[in-house]
Amino acid sequence: MTRYLGAAAGAVALMLAAAALIFFFAPTDALQGPVQRIFYLHVSAAIAAFASFAVVLVGSVLYLWRGSVRADRLARAGALVGVVFTTVTLVMGMLWAKPIWGTYWTWDARLTSTLVLWIIYAGYLLVRRLAAPGRQAARFAAVVGIFGFIDVPVVYFSVDWWRTQHPGPVIATDALPPEMLFTFLFTMVCTLVLAGTLIAIRYRIETLMDTAPAAAIMNAPATHLEPAQ
Amino acid sequence: MTRSIAVAVAIARKDLLAEWRTRELVPALAQFVVLALVIANFGFQIDSRSAPAIAPGVLWLALVFAGLVAFGRAFAAEREQATLEAVLLTAAAPAAIFGGKALAAGLLLVLCEAVLLPALALFFGVPISFGLVFAVLLATVGMAALGCLFAAMVAQLRARELLLPLLTLPLWIPFIVAGGQAVQVAMGADGTMDQALKLLLDFDILFVVLTSLAARFVLDD
Amino acid sequence: MSAIVAESVSHWFGSEPALDAVDLVVERGDHVAVLGENGAGKTTLLRILATALRPSSGKLEIMGLDALRERRRLRGRMGYVAHAPGIYGALTAEENLAFFCDLRGADRARVPEALELARLTQVARRRASELSRGMQQRLAIARAVLHDPLLLILDEPDASLDAEGADLIAAVMNGRTAVLATHDQALATRLCQRALTLRRGRVLGQGSRLRIVQ
Repeated sequence: MTRYLGAAAGAVALMLAAAALIFFFAPTDALQGPVQRIFYLHVSAAIAAFASFAVVLVGSVLYLWRGSVRADRLARAGALVGVVFTTVTLVMGMLWAKPIWGTYWTWDARLTSTLVLWIIYAGYLLVRRLAAPGRQAARFAAVVGIFGFIDVPVVYFSVDWWRTQHPGPVIATDALPPEMLFTFLFTMVCTLVLAGTLIAIRYRIETLMDTAPAAAIMNAPATHLEPAQ
Repeated sequence: MTRSIAVAVAIARKDLLAEWRTRELVPALAQFVVLALVIANFGFQIDSRSAPAIAPGVLWLALVFAGLVAFGRAFAAEREQATLEAVLLTAAAPAAIFGGKALAAGLLLVLCEAVLLPALALFFGVPISFGLVFAVLLATVGMAALGCLFAAMVAQLRARELLLPLLTLPLWIPFIVAGGQAVQVAMGADGTMDQALKLLLDFDILFVVLTSLAARFVLDD
Repeated sequence: MSAIVAESVSHWFGSEPALDAVDLVVERGDHVAVLGENGAGKTTLLRILATALRPSSGKLEIMGLDALRERRRLRGRMGYVAHAPGIYGALTAEENLAFFCDLRGADRARVPEALELARLTQVARRRASELSRGMQQRLAIARAVLHDPLLLILDEPDASLDAEGADLIAAVMNGRTAVLATHDQALATRLCQRALTLRRGRVLGQGSRLRIVQ
């Protein structure tokens, strides 16, 4: 219990440090102005989301291959955290897009595949909820998780190919000056640590829910719990 | 292996026979498709200039919705009659069962396409070239594989009308993109049909292999 | 080698317990009746024996094979009559049987004899949806033995059956190992030498004398 609290506090502290860097260390972008600062968290969140879904993929494959319930729990945790980070990515992207491009949305390869990503793993969570708890939910969700992960690059590729036939708005990416690069890398690391901590905490919750449903929810905040298998 | 093919063929034949007896699905699909075209005609400003821009969208919209109905029904009947378990308990390979169902549902969708393409030619002036037909057929293969896999999953759950599109559409996007391009090329846009066809074939191979592997986790415990 | 050895088989649906540490041994050639009220877990147990359902825990060995690993092999040697007939309404009785023959790789020549056994020859060409519930059930029973299985699992096959049905059940159980779930005490006494009674997922009693247990 206390080690999760400690990890969470550490992750939050790191994020605050990243925020400090973003607002006080990184220079203001000459072209886009202060709005550009969204980029640090937006891209970091996207990377954290992909990393989380990679965790889902590994957990799903392991579950189907080995029947490991722990792998399934890991997949569950990864999916939830991944959907949260994807939502953050999409929202921040839209907030950034409006002042810069004049529109909240455009159907280019990157945005389309991020939206598809969100839909797929929202579907994953829904399937988990609707299927019979236990084997059916784990099996079905694992299939969705695996297909979803493979689908995203396929969607990206096909939309990208289509865009070569129908050129649309281009997202310019200039080289980053060193302060910006450092800020971005630092933020990315902090965000990945946050994602990892969230997954670990969620994994713990899923373990408790598996082993002692009602008791876990009632007792968790106050008592000192034994680590589960 | 030959056993599996025999099983898949038996199942496909059975499904087609059942459809022939009840005649529920194909007329409904054909009617839906023609209706979609008529609505598109009133909803969009169709003239010879806008037709090439709109026709691909109309084709794929109609096909996607028809596909959702067709593949959804493939397993709905099994669920209603409690027959899927009986079939599994014959020791038939789940991949073969899945293949047979996808084959039958795909063929029924092709029948629907046999109505859709001429109607498109009629209302939108889409030229029915060999390349276009081939593109639509290739896309149907992949869509059938994916649609039937998730239809099988969703048939065992609640909220199926919501879940099937949610799970299937993201996986159909590559087919819609490549297929849409094929229609545009057929109507005179730049680019080659070959590119679109190659993409569709690649997607087919990828997803047919994957769905065949996944079938046993979806159909059986 | 016993036909069935079930060791501490338990099953939960979510957090709902359905079977609690059921032990069962069925020898070759035995006819065992599974008795109990509705909701006692008979169907769950039979589905687990038929490999239609994976138990949450426990060990199960059928005909010498691990029932959890060798399900497909076992399915080829077992027949199962479920609670619902599970036949295709749009197909005729004959076509239903022919289809399942094809699935099992059995010779289609067996279809006429199966129809004869189930007294369905007259209605062979009629669509299954037009048959009475009793006839559909007979069709399902005939289907279960198309491939001449060694072991037969029947879940309340008499539920909607007519008088001819009872003879059919006796006929298909003859010469095979069979597990029969039923409410009908008379049928159980007539056809089985042993009985197992379930109550709320637990084995209440097993014995060679059938008793009515409250």
